[in-house]
Amino acid sequence: MTSRHDSPGPAPLVAMRGIVKRFGSVVADDHVDLDIYPGEVLALLGENGAGKSTLMRVLFGFYPADEGAIAIEGRPVAFGSPLAAMAAGIGMVFQQFSLIPALTVLENLLAASPRAPWWQSRRRPAVVSTLRWLQRLAPGFDAERRVQDLAVGERQIVELAKVLNLDPRVVILDEPTSVLTPAEATRLHGFVRDLAAQGKAVVLITHKIADVTACADRIAVMRRGRLMDESRLADRSPAAIVTAMVGATVAAEPADPPPAAPRPLLRVSALSTSQDDTSCPAADVTFEVGAGEILGIAGVIGNGQAALAEALTGLTRVIAGDATLDGASLAWKGDRAPPPSNAVAYIPERPLDNAVVADLDLAVNLDLRNLAGQDFFAGDAHRNARAAALLARYDVRPQNPALAARALSGGNLQKLVIARELSRTPQLVVACYPTMGLDINAATAVRRYMFEHAARGAAVVWFSEDIDDLLAYAHRIAVLHSGRCVGAVPRVNASRDGIGRMMTGIGSRTRAA
Amino acid sequence: MLLELPSKPALSELKRYARRLAPALAMVGIFFLTAAGFFVIIGKPPIATLADMAMFAVGDSYSLSETLVKTTPILLCALATLLPARLGLVSVGADGQLFMGAIFGTAVTLAWRDAPLAILVPAMLAAGIAGGAIWGLVPGFLRGRLDVNETITTLLLNYVAALLVNALVYGPWKDPGNLGWPATIAFPAGSLGTFFGTRVHAGLVFAFVIALVLGVILARSRWGLELAILRGNAKVGRMIGLSFSRQAMVVMALGGAFGGLAGICETAAIQGRLQPGISVGYGLTGFLVAWLAGHNPVIAIPVSFLVGGLIAAGDSLQLFAKVPAASATILQGLLFATALAVGGVSARLRRAHG
Amino acid sequence: MAEFDAITLATWIAASSRSATPLLLVMLGETLTQRTGVINLGVEGEMLMGACFGFAAGATTGDPLLGLAAGAAAGVVLSTVHAGLVLGARANQIGSGLAVWIIGLGVTSYYGRAFVGGKVDSLRPLGAHFADAPAFIRTILDQVTPTAPLALVLAGVAGVWLYRTRSGLIWRTVGESAEVARALGIRPVSVRLQSILLGGALAGLGGAVLSVDYTQTWAQDITKGKGLVAVGLVIVARWNPYLVIPTALLFGVSETAVLRLQAGGVAISPSLLATTPYLLALVVIILSQSQAWRAGSMPADLTAIFRSSRAAP
Repeated sequence: MTSRHDSPGPAPLVAMRGIVKRFGSVVADDHVDLDIYPGEVLALLGENGAGKSTLMRVLFGFYPADEGAIAIEGRPVAFGSPLAAMAAGIGMVFQQFSLIPALTVLENLLAASPRAPWWQSRRRPAVVSTLRWLQRLAPGFDAERRVQDLAVGERQIVELAKVLNLDPRVVILDEPTSVLTPAEATRLHGFVRDLAAQGKAVVLITHKIADVTACADRIAVMRRGRLMDESRLADRSPAAIVTAMVGATVAAEPADPPPAAPRPLLRVSALSTSQDDTSCPAADVTFEVGAGEILGIAGVIGNGQAALAEALTGLTRVIAGDATLDGASLAWKGDRAPPPSNAVAYIPERPLDNAVVADLDLAVNLDLRNLAGQDFFAGDAHRNARAAALLARYDVRPQNPALAARALSGGNLQKLVIARELSRTPQLVVACYPTMGLDINAATAVRRYMFEHAARGAAVVWFSEDIDDLLAYAHRIAVLHSGRCVGAVPRVNASRDGIGRMMTGIGSRTRAA
Repeated sequence: MLLELPSKPALSELKRYARRLAPALAMVGIFFLTAAGFFVIIGKPPIATLADMAMFAVGDSYSLSETLVKTTPILLCALATLLPARLGLVSVGADGQLFMGAIFGTAVTLAWRDAPLAILVPAMLAAGIAGGAIWGLVPGFLRGRLDVNETITTLLLNYVAALLVNALVYGPWKDPGNLGWPATIAFPAGSLGTFFGTRVHAGLVFAFVIALVLGVILARSRWGLELAILRGNAKVGRMIGLSFSRQAMVVMALGGAFGGLAGICETAAIQGRLQPGISVGYGLTGFLVAWLAGHNPVIAIPVSFLVGGLIAAGDSLQLFAKVPAASATILQGLLFATALAVGGVSARLRRAHG
Repeated sequence: MAEFDAITLATWIAASSRSATPLLLVMLGETLTQRTGVINLGVEGEMLMGACFGFAAGATTGDPLLGLAAGAAAGVVLSTVHAGLVLGARANQIGSGLAVWIIGLGVTSYYGRAFVGGKVDSLRPLGAHFADAPAFIRTILDQVTPTAPLALVLAGVAGVWLYRTRSGLIWRTVGESAEVARALGIRPVSVRLQSILLGGALAGLGGAVLSVDYTQTWAQDITKGKGLVAVGLVIVARWNPYLVIPTALLFGVSETAVLRLQAGGVAISPSLLATTPYLLALVVIILSQSQAWRAGSMPADLTAIFRSSRAAP
C-alpha cells in the first residue's frame, strides 16, 4: 500500500489524519488518513456503506469527527458547519441537490450567493455575474426556467454552478453519475478534468470503475470504513481496484439462464397514463414478459418509471391501452381503482416513503396485505406471531415486531418490504430500484429473492439505475425514455453503448409535438 | 399521550411510565403558574381565586352538577374533533355541527310538538344527529374528494350555522308569545330526564357511553388500524385498497353526528328552547380537550370533566367574585398554549435523546 | 339618469374599498407569513386585539391615527405568542394559531367591555385634499379615508419587495425549504420570526381600521371571522401580494351588497344575507383548489402543514 503521506513533495492542500466517525455502534470511518492535492482529481472509491461519503461529509463540516485532525494548507481546522467549510473554500455537490424547485435557476443561484445585491434587477452586472459558471458549464442555458422543469442532469449542472460560484479550492462530488445517462456522465468527466486543470482539487466519490478510468489521477479505495489502497491510477489494473473495493475476489453470482420459449404472462399494450402530477407519464408502452422471465428496464430516474410501475400495480389511472396478467386486467381504467391483486407484488422505490407506514410497528407493516380479510376485532397475537416468523425467515434486523418501521436501516427496510410482498406467491413482481443505496450483502440478498421468484415461474419487471446489474442478471433489457419503452433485447444482444444511446432518446420513435 | 399501565412494574418500566407522565405534570404545573399570573394581572388574589375556582367546580353537589352539565357538550364536541383527528384531519367544526343539530332537532320538535315524549324524544335526537352529521359530511366530502383544507371549511361553516340559527329564531320560528326575546317556543320539559333534581341529563350518559365505545373500537378494531394507516401514509393505504376519501367522509360525518347530538341535548335539556347562544364556544373547548387528551376518547372523559369544571367555575366566579366570564376564555387559551408549549418541548427532548 | 348611475357606481366603489381594506391588510400580512412557511390562524385574534385596543386608544386620546398605530402594536404583541410557540417550542402551527385566537378573543372580551358604545373621531376623507377632481373621482374620494389607498400601496410595495429584492428572495426560499435555506447560510427561524411579527402588525392594523375607521364602534367579536376568512383567501390569492387586492375587493363588493340589501328592506332575513360572504369565501376556496389553479404555487414547506396527515406534532 503506497502512501505519499511522509514522502517529500508538494504539500497537500487538505490533510486528514486518523479520522474516526461512529454512528452508534457502527464505525463508518476507521482511522482514515487522506491527502488532497490541488490540480488533480482524486477518486474516492468504495461500495455503498464503505464510508467514503461520510469521510467527505466530515471534511465539509456536516459531521464532527470523533477522532482525528484536518489541516488545510498546514493549518489545523475544525469546521462546525458546512458554512464554515464553504468559507474556507470547500464545496460539495451532494446526491440530493439543494435546489428550490419552485424558484428559477437564476433565483436559486442568487439565493446561494452571499454577495448578491439587494435590488435584483436582471440587468445589474452583479446579478449577471452569478451566471458566469453556469454559462461556462452549459452555454446558452436559460436561467429563467424553474428548477422543477429541469431534467436531473440539468439540475446537477445548476448545483455544480452554485457550488462553483463560491470559488472553492476543493470541489467534492458525491456519486454524481448515478443519476446521469452515459452521455451526460461523459460530459461530467470532462468538467471534472477541466476543474482540475484550473488548479482546483477535485474529489470524486463513486463506486463505478468507469468514472475512475475516465478522469481520475489518483485513487483511494475504502472498504468497511478503512482506507485499503491509495495510488496513482496508472499503477493499478481495474481488477486490482475491484479486489480492493470488495475484498477477496467475489465470484460473480451465476446469472440464471432465461427460460426457453416462456409462456407470455404479462402483456402490456399501448399503455399510457395521464399527465396529472409533475412526474413523467407513461406513453404508449408495449412489451411482454413471460413466466420465469426477468425484464430489466433501464433509464434515468424521472423518465416514467414511477408512472409505469404504478400503472402495472393499479395505483395510477390508465388513459389508454391495457396491462393484463394471465388474461386478467391489472389496469385502473374507470372511476374506481381496482382492488389490490394478490397476484402482484410491488416493491416501490424509496420504501420509507412509499412502501411502509413509518410510525407503525413492523408487525402491522408486515400484515398490511392481509388486513382486508381479517375480522373487525382481530387480535394482535396472530399478527405478532406471523411477523416474528417473517422477520426471521428474511433476516430482517432487529427482529422485533414492536419496533416502528422508521427504526430500520435502509437494507433491513427493503428486506421487510420483500418479506411482505414476496412471501405470498405472486405471479408478477414489480420492483423499482430495489438495491439502490444498499450495501453489497443486502443487495445480493434482495436480488436473490427476486430471482427465486422468477425461477418459480413469476414474471419480474425490474427497474434499475445500474446498467451493469441489468447486463449481468436480467434476461431481457428495455429502456424507458420520456415515458416510452424502447428496446427489450435479450441480454446477449445488449451492450452498454446500445443502452446508453437509447437512454438519451436516440433510436426511439420521434414523438408528435 | 396514551397512558398505558405497564404490565411488569420493573424499574425501567416505571421510569418510562414516569417519563410519559412528566409532560402532563409539567403542563399542569405551568398552567397553574400562568393562571396565577393572570389573576395577579387582573388584580385578584391568585391562590384564593384558584381555590375558589376549585370549590366552584366540585366543591358541593350543586357545583358538581353544574360541572357535569358543562361536561356533556364539551365531551361530545371533543369526540367530534378527535375522531377526524385519528385520520389526520383537523376539524374545528364542532360548534357548527352543534348548531345544525340544534336546528334539525328543533324542527322535529316544532313539527311534532304534540306527540308523546316516547316518540318525540328519539325522533328529536335522531334529527339532531342527522343535522350534525350533514354539517360534518360537507367539509369531509370537500377534503376527501376535492382536497380542500378542512380546517378552513369547518371554521367558515361554523359562522354560517350560527347565522342560520339567528335567521330562524328571529324569523319563522320566533315564539309569538315572546315579544322581546328571539327564541322558539319552549321544549317539553324534562325530555331528557334529570338526575337527582339537577340539570344533569341523559346526554351525559350518551356522551360517556359513546366515548368508551369509540375508545375500544379505535384501539382494537381493524377500522381503527385502517385509520392509523391512512393517517400515517395515505399512499400505502391506497396500495392495500383503503380509500382516504371514503374514510374522510365517514369520520367527519360521524364526528358531526356527535356534535349534533350535543346541540340538540343542550337545546332540549339546558336551554329549553332554540335561541342564539346555545354554544358558548363548546366547539373550541372541545378542540382543546381533544388535543389535551392526545386524541384518545377515553382520556377525553376526565379531561372534559376538568375543563368543564374550569368553565363552570368561571361562570360562578362571575356571579360571586365579579370576575368577568371572559377570564374563562383566557384561561382556556392559556391552557392550550401551555399544552402546546410543553408538548413541543417534550417532543424535542424525545428526539434529541433518541 | 347617467349621473345617477355614475354616483351610485362611485359610492359602490368607495364603500367596497372601505369594506375591503381591513381584509386586505390581514390577507397581506398572512400572505407574507405563509410565504415563509408558517400558517397563523391567530390573525383572527390579532385582528381583534387591533380592533379593541386601537379603538380604546383612539377613544381615550381622541386621535384616530394613534388608534391605528396602537392597533398594529397590539397585533404584534399577540403574535409573539404564536412565534414563541411555533419557533421556540416547535409546537403545531394550527393548534398554536387557535390558541392565540382564543387568547385574543378572551382578552378583548375582557378589556373591551369598557369601550362598548364608545365613540372615536373619524379620519378625514380624502376628498378634502382633491377639491378640483372630476365629479366621479371626487365622489369616491369624499367617502374614502387614507387607509384604503394605504392598503393598496402596501400591497404593491410588498409585491415588488417579495419578487425583486434579495430579502424577498430569502423569505421565499425559507418558505420553500427551511433545510435548503439553512444550507445556504440563511437563518429560517429569524426570517419566520420577522414574518410572524409583521403579519401581526398588519392584522392588528386591519382590525384597528375596522373599528376606528370603518365601523367606528367596538363590539365583542367585531371581526366575526374575517381573519379566518383571510387565511383561507390567501390560498385563493396564490400567495401573491398583488392578487390580494382583487380578492379582497371581491369581498368588499359582496359585503357592500349585503349591507345594501339588509338596509333596503328586502324580504330576506338579514342573518341569512350575512352568510353570503362566508359562502362566497367557501365557493372561491373550493374553486381555487382545482388542478389548473393549484399547480405549484404553494410554498413547499407549507404543504407539510396544510396537507399534513398528522393532527398532533
